[in-house]
Amino acid sequence: MSLRITLRVTTPPGFRVDASALLPAPLAAMSTAEIERIVLPAGNDRCNVGDVFDVSRSEASAESDAPHTGATLVIENAAPWLDRVGARMMDGHLLVHGSTGDYSGFQMAGGVLHIEGDAGHFTACEMRGGRLTVTGHSGDFAAGALAGDMEGMTGGTLTIHGNAGARLADRMRRGLVLVGGNAGDFAASRLVAGTVGIAGQPGAHYAYGMRRGTLLLSQRPTHLPPTFTEGGRGFDVFWALLVRSLADEIAPFSQWRTASLPTRYAGDLAVDGRGEILVVS
Amino acid sequence: MSEPATLQINGTTIDATFAEAFPMKATRLVITAHTLTWAMNAAISLTGFATSVIGCGCEAGIERTLAAAETPDGRPGVTVLLFAVSSKELAKQIERRVGQCVLTCPTTAVYGGIDPETSRAPLSDRASLGSGLRFFGDGWQISKMLGDTRYWRVPVMDGEFVCAETALTVKAVGGGNLILLARDIDAALAAAEAAVAAMRRLPNVVMPFPGGVVRSGSKVGSKYRGASASTNDAFCPTLTGLSARSELSAEVGCVLEIVIDGLTDADVGAAMSAGIGAAVGLGRAAGLLRISAGNYGGKLGPYHFHLHSLAAGASAGFDGSHA
Repeated sequence: MSLRITLRVTTPPGFRVDASALLPAPLAAMSTAEIERIVLPAGNDRCNVGDVFDVSRSEASAESDAPHTGATLVIENAAPWLDRVGARMMDGHLLVHGSTGDYSGFQMAGGVLHIEGDAGHFTACEMRGGRLTVTGHSGDFAAGALAGDMEGMTGGTLTIHGNAGARLADRMRRGLVLVGGNAGDFAASRLVAGTVGIAGQPGAHYAYGMRRGTLLLSQRPTHLPPTFTEGGRGFDVFWALLVRSLADEIAPFSQWRTASLPTRYAGDLAVDGRGEILVVS
Repeated sequence: MSEPATLQINGTTIDATFAEAFPMKATRLVITAHTLTWAMNAAISLTGFATSVIGCGCEAGIERTLAAAETPDGRPGVTVLLFAVSSKELAKQIERRVGQCVLTCPTTAVYGGIDPETSRAPLSDRASLGSGLRFFGDGWQISKMLGDTRYWRVPVMDGEFVCAETALTVKAVGGGNLILLARDIDAALAAAEAAVAAMRRLPNVVMPFPGGVVRSGSKVGSKYRGASASTNDAFCPTLTGLSARSELSAEVGCVLEIVIDGLTDADVGAAMSAGIGAAVGLGRAAGLLRISAGNYGGKLGPYHFHLHSLAAGASAGFDGSHA
């Protein structure tokens, strides 16, 4: 048996709400009444959970309703006025039906956040661990850093089934980011390390200032950055390890095979130059 | 433990004694390569000169070969086990041996082979693998985190040398042993070879001496200052009438020993049991007269492998008798 808490949006507040307090583990220790009394900040406003959501708790058999053990929090009818969903989440499972606002999974360190819809800007910003999935599109700065911060995402896996906005994985240092659609301008810019995969086309200036790390492109891009050079051969073993690590991820990444070696470009030579773009087409 | 004075299986006497073994630190490395031949070349080189911690720093051996589907990178591979007396010495030996024998060998890659989820041996710590070897890359090396594992990619002349950053180590058991007393050299070699072959079919153990067999069994101490070990005169057939400690009868013409290191005491016990079974399968008719074991009175090592207990599991199908 696992605990399942459901928050169903009944009365949208009319302003943006900071939902970072709505995390599976803390809510699992509360009664329904206590959950309803949680105060959600909203700029100069605020509201109680009970004002916005209908709260219910149920015990789900692990095999049927909830595919996971431990606490599961479900937010139904979510909308883009819900910011910071899953921010600083440490464990548990947070399932969101609908779209979310900005900063979804901000500094998330563990657990699973699944958004059945679109996410706003700064999705998985400075994420440290866990798994975040967006079945729709994401805004700008996904897996990036806050303005002025040195490091973007430093761990975990971000999967965006649709398109990602500009500055995808800006200053990312560690972890895995996969985009099923296109990416906006400056994708993987200033990448310190980590792995970014884009199934569609990257926008302009992708891999700008990329120091290390790996950018996987499933389609041949319209142009290559001028500060990248032919990256040679002989990386078969690494490619085999990488392909195997992607076997459980979304297509097309999960369908890659070790036998077909991608074309490799090394750069950005304007900076450290130890990054790589692997074009798999 | 009360044991009958003698136990005979297929005419071979099993001494009422025990092997005394010691805690060691160990790890398993997975070496892969473009072909099994090159993985084996690296493994043979890495486990060379690793018969005894007394003079080699570690004891090591090839555990088994791996099919491509069993390895992290989908290429054929070999697993090796390394044992040392301390974590520090084990780490030193891993780095030296991998650096000189695997990094240098064409097409190879190396990974830690201890799975923390399934290991029955208590986990110890992490030994450096790629974290030190990466400096060979002279700044061109690249690290990559895949899942929870960090790999290093070091440019070399055939492409990249890929290795995991660290290897998990475990608290293991070293020094299990069997002493085979035979009528002559041919009989002793046949029994030892059969026993080693049976043991090599089991996981988690290695027999670190050449061919798995050692002829220079040793005792602690020496008449000479500075020598920590010397020949085990109690089992030397040329000293049967000379050494007061001799344990040999006149019909014993050759004695060989098999040393077994394993990840757990159960692994060592299973290997010894398999070895006894294979050896007594040849029996007295083939010249194997006795099986004994080495110990230090039971006061030094915490692991005691009693031969009669082990033989009980190995004697099925043979005529056994207690006296």
